Amino acid sequence: MKPIRIEPLLAGVLNVGTCLASIVIAAGLMLSLSHQRTPFPTGAQIVSAGIGLFILLPILRVILMLIFFAKERDYKFAAAAAVVLVILFAGFAIGILAK
Amino acid sequence: MSTGTELWLFAVSFGASALGGMLGMASGIFIVPVLTMWGHVDIRIAIGASVVSVIACSCGSAAPFLKGRLTNVRLAILLETATTAGALSGVLLAGTIPASYLFFIFGMILLLSAQQMLAKRRDPALAPIQSPTGRLTTWRVDSSYPDRTLGRDIAYRVERLPLGMVLMYVAGLISALLGIGSGVLKVPAMDTALRLPIKVSSATSNFMICVTAAASAGAYFVRGDIVAPVAGPVALGSVVGAILGARLLMSISNERVRLLFVVVLVALAVQMLVAAFGRGLFRGIA
Repeated sequence: MKPIRIEPLLAGVLNVGTCLASIVIAAGLMLSLSHQRTPFPTGAQIVSAGIGLFILLPILRVILMLIFFAKERDYKFAAAAAVVLVILFAGFAIGILAK
Repeated sequence: MSTGTELWLFAVSFGASALGGMLGMASGIFIVPVLTMWGHVDIRIAIGASVVSVIACSCGSAAPFLKGRLTNVRLAILLETATTAGALSGVLLAGTIPASYLFFIFGMILLLSAQQMLAKRRDPALAPIQSPTGRLTTWRVDSSYPDRTLGRDIAYRVERLPLGMVLMYVAGLISALLGIGSGVLKVPAMDTALRLPIKVSSATSNFMICVTAAASAGAYFVRGDIVAPVAGPVALGSVVGAILGARLLMSISNERVRLLFVVVLVALAVQMLVAAFGRGLFRGIA
């Protein structure tokens, strides 16, 4: 029996995510370079959203791996993915507390 | 923020990433020195911008390695528990460390990278297979990868996992402190501690970099250290530059690029160290 592989799924998600975030950042930059005053969202806010997408992309990658390992009943690696996920969310929490 | 500044940031990041991509190396190591030394950007804002570009490059370049079955995803998630824990420690430390120390650590990392660029990496896959010295772990991380030149799958075993985990923790810490991918620390850890084949360690290290960087980027983003008008052009420039650099990799003499790379690294290292001492590092001791 050929084992199911997660690699093609991760490759696709990372590619699409990178393209999407880059396009959002490019759109925001062009808006701010054109010096057109838009009330909401401003160019800088769109750029921020694109940056946010880039930060969420690795988190999505870890969530996908967690689901995959859990489905494969590979509980040790599912636990490792869960630990990474908790640490990633702790990063956000530290940022909020240190504000 | 003027139009000129944004274009300058884009151009610099593009150039750095194209150069890095030509050697299969991330551009993060260039972004902070260039922004602080030449662009006079505050080092913490430069680090915030760099960490986003590190995520962008790592995510954007992972696919070919994943499809080529070079990336060991199980080993990656296991080592990421250590790199992200290190990154969190780095975030907590970052607030307490004065800028002069950051410049100093950065200078040392640049010198380390230059030294690594000069020393050629030996591929353990071609070396005679050593009998495993460490105990077998209960973690199923041993795997195999397809080698195109040999035309067959090569099985490999992961050795000394605990030592690897400790080195990964340190790599994660440095990564968060300086806003770099710290492939410069991960790759030797994988080569020498885990004894992985060169292609597997490069691919797996690259795959892990985005998650490691996301641990610190999350904190810096909500804290407001990531400034959109700086980080946006830098991230975009690095993604486009990295893609182009990887294409150029085939057509340009590798040795010449390597030498240029070493010269730039050393020049930046000297500048960073001068800046560190100029800002009063070790004043009172000297």
